[in-house]
Amino acid sequence: MTATTTTPAPARVDAGERSAAARDLDATIGMTVLLGAWVMLFAALFLAYGVVRVQANEWPPFGAPRLPLAVPGLNTLLLLASSAVLRRGLARARGGDQRALPPAAVAAALLGVAFLGAQLAIWRAMLARGLFPGSGVYGSVFYALTGFHALHVLGGVVALAGQAVRARVTRKHEPATLRPLRMTALYWDFVAIVWVVMYLTVYCL
Amino acid sequence: MPSDVDETHAAPRGFLRRYVFSTDHKVIAKQFLFLGLAFLAVGGFLAMLIRWQLANPGVPFPLVGKLLYGPSGGVISPAAYTALFTMHGTIMIFFAITPILIGAFGNFCIPLLIGARDMVFPRLNLLSFWSMFVATAVLTTSFFVPLGAAQAGWTAYPTLSTAIGTPGLGQTLWTIAVYFNGASSIMGAVNYITTVIRLRAPGMGYFQMPLTVWGLWLTSILNALFVPVLAAGMVLLFFDRVFGTQFFIAGSAIRGGGDPILYQHLFWLFGHPEVYILILPAWGIVSDLLSFFARKPAFGYRVTVGSMIAVVILSSLVYGHHMFVTGMSPMLGESFMLLTMIISVPAVILFFNWLATIWRGAMRTTPAMLFALGLVFTFGLGGLTGLFLADIEADVYLHDTFFVVGHFHLIMAAAVLLASFAAIDYWFPKMFGRMMNPVLGKLHFWLTIVSLNLVFCGQLLIGYAGMQRRLYDPSAYEFLKPLLKMNRGISHAAFVLGAAQLLFVVNFFWSLARGRKAEANPWQVGTLEWTVPSPPPHHNFDRIPVVRQGPHELGNPRVIEALGRDWLAQDEEMP
Repeated sequence: MTATTTTPAPARVDAGERSAAARDLDATIGMTVLLGAWVMLFAALFLAYGVVRVQANEWPPFGAPRLPLAVPGLNTLLLLASSAVLRRGLARARGGDQRALPPAAVAAALLGVAFLGAQLAIWRAMLARGLFPGSGVYGSVFYALTGFHALHVLGGVVALAGQAVRARVTRKHEPATLRPLRMTALYWDFVAIVWVVMYLTVYCL
Repeated sequence: MPSDVDETHAAPRGFLRRYVFSTDHKVIAKQFLFLGLAFLAVGGFLAMLIRWQLANPGVPFPLVGKLLYGPSGGVISPAAYTALFTMHGTIMIFFAITPILIGAFGNFCIPLLIGARDMVFPRLNLLSFWSMFVATAVLTTSFFVPLGAAQAGWTAYPTLSTAIGTPGLGQTLWTIAVYFNGASSIMGAVNYITTVIRLRAPGMGYFQMPLTVWGLWLTSILNALFVPVLAAGMVLLFFDRVFGTQFFIAGSAIRGGGDPILYQHLFWLFGHPEVYILILPAWGIVSDLLSFFARKPAFGYRVTVGSMIAVVILSSLVYGHHMFVTGMSPMLGESFMLLTMIISVPAVILFFNWLATIWRGAMRTTPAMLFALGLVFTFGLGGLTGLFLADIEADVYLHDTFFVVGHFHLIMAAAVLLASFAAIDYWFPKMFGRMMNPVLGKLHFWLTIVSLNLVFCGQLLIGYAGMQRRLYDPSAYEFLKPLLKMNRGISHAAFVLGAAQLLFVVNFFWSLARGRKAEANPWQVGTLEWTVPSPPPHHNFDRIPVVRQGPHELGNPRVIEALGRDWLAQDEEMP
C-alpha cells in the first residue's frame, strides 16, 4: 500500500495505463470464465445425449447405418494438429520470433477448413445412406451435436483468419497485439477438446 | 496492487459513440435501465389483460380491446390468452427484471462501488447490451407474425413447444430471443466476475465490498454456470422445431425416441438457479440499504455473505423440486425435497440479519428504505409459501395451481421488483444528478405494497382452493364458479397496482427533467460512489481511492465525536 496523506485528492486525473502483464491476466481470467460457461453449454448437450442414449433399447437403432470411424478419426488428428501449430507459433513469438505468428495462424485456420470439409463429406455420406436429422433420435444426436460443434470450428477459423490479417497489416507484435491471438488459441484448444469428447462418445461409443 | 493505476480513456465525442455505442459502464447501465423499464411496462400491461380475462371471462377488453383483438371484437381468445401469459412471464423475467437489476445496476454499481474506472472489458459490455437489444427486437417481432407470439408458457415445455404443439413462427423466434438474452447475460457475467476480481481499489478486500457487489458477483457466477444450460435447451428446441430433430419428441419402442422430460431437466437445471440469479442482487442491495437508512452497520456482514454463498451452492442442487410430478424416482424426490428445505436455513439467517440490522436503528424512512423493508416483508411471505411447494405431498396437490403463481410472484414480482424500485430511488441521484420526489415515491410505495399483497395473497388462496394456473376461463368449471368473485377482487387489486406504477413513471420523468439537483452524497453514506460528484465524471475517480474500512461505517461514536457526523467514507482515515 502506498503512503497517502489525509488531504483530499487534488483536482487532477491520474493518467497511466495498467501494465501489459496485468491486462494479460485480466484477459486470461475473463477467457477462463467464458470458457467455463462454454463447457457448461456442451456439458448440457452431452447430458441430453446421455439421457436419450441410456433410454434407447438399441444403439444404433435397427436398420440405421453405423457412423464411420476412420474419417472422423483423421479429423480429430487435424484439429489437434491445428491447435499444436498455433501453440508452437505462439511459443516462438513469445521467444522473440514474431514473424512466425501470421503463418501459424493461417496454417491453423487452414487445418480447421480441412476439418470442416471432411465433416461436410461425412454428413453427405450419411444423408446418402438414409440417415436424416428427423430419422429418430439417433440421427438427431449425430447431426445436432456435430453440427453445433462445426459452427464453433467455423467461428474459430474466422477468428484466426482475422487475427492473421491483423498481424500482417499492423506488423506490430507487441504483447498487446499478441493477446487476442492468445485468447483465440485458448478457445481453439477448447474446440479441439470438445471434439475429442464428441468423437469418443458420438462416433466410437 | 494491480489497480493502483488505471486507464483513463478520454470521454468520446459524437452522439453515436457517447449515447448509443458507448463503452462507458454508466451509459450502458442507463441503456439497460430504459430498456428494462420499457419492457416492465409492456409486461405489466399484459398482466392487466390476463387479469381482465380472469375477472370478466369472454367480455371484450375495454378501450383498446378492439384495436388489439379486432377479429374477435375485443374478446381475448384462448390462443391469445395463452400467448399473453407466456409473453408476460418471458418479458418480466428475461427482459424486465434481468436488465434492470443485473444489467443496469450491475453495470452502474460494480465499478463505482469497488473504486474502478470502468468494467475490465468495456467492449464486451457494449456487446452484452446490444445482444440484449437483438433479443428484444426478435421478441417484439414475434408478436406480429402469423399465429402470433409464443404460446407454450414461459417454461416452454415440450411437446407443447415443439413444432407439433405450436407450429407458428412465434415460438421459434422466442427460442432465438431467449438464446440471445442468455448470451447477453453470460457476457455480462464474464465482465462482472473479472472486474470484481481484478479492479477492486487498493485496500478493498472481498470483505470490504458493499453487499450489493457481493450479491451481483455471486449472481454473475450463477449466470456464467447455468445460463449456458438453458442455452443448450434452446439450441435443441430450435433444432427440433427447424431441422426436425427429435430430442424432445417421444418416439416408438422400436425406433427409440427423444424425451420431453429431458427438456424439463435442462430447463430447471438453469431455472432454479435463475430464481437466485434474480434475488441475489436484491438481497445484496437490501442488506446495504437497511444498514444505510437504519444508520447502523449491517449485522453479521460475514454471515450474510456466507449465507449468500451457501444459497449459491445449494441452488444448483435442488432443481428437481420443480419436477415432483413427472414420475421421478421417490428416492430422488425425497433428496430434492430435503436439499430444498435446507435452503431455508441460510435464507432465514439472512432474514434475521436484516431484522437485527434495523433493530433499534435510527430509521430514515426514505422511499428507498420503504421499498427495502417491503422486500423483507414479501420475501418472508414468499419464502414461507415455498416450504409448502418443497414438500412432495403438498406439492402434488398444489402443483400447477395458482398457489405456485402466488408463491413465485411474491418472490420474483414482489421482492425482486421492490428491490428494483429501491435501487432506482437510491441511485437515481448518482445516475442522473437529480433527486426523485420523496412524496410521490412514498405514495407509490404504499399503493404498490398494499395492492401487490392483495393480488399475490389472493392468488395463493384461489390456488389453495384448486384453481389451475394458465386456466383460460375459470367459469368453465362448476367447482371454480364460487371463486369468480374472488378472481374479480384480485383483478381489481391488480388494476390498482398497475395504475400505481403511473406514479412512478411520472416521478421518474419529472425528476429526470425537473428534480432538485443532487449533491455528491445526499444519503450521507460512506461507499465509494458517494465520494465522487453526482453524476460521476467519465473516468469516475480522479484518483483511484485507497480503501480503509468496510462499507457500513455508520454511527461509530469515535467518528461522531471527531467529525460531528455519523458516517465515514470508505477511503477516509478513521479519526
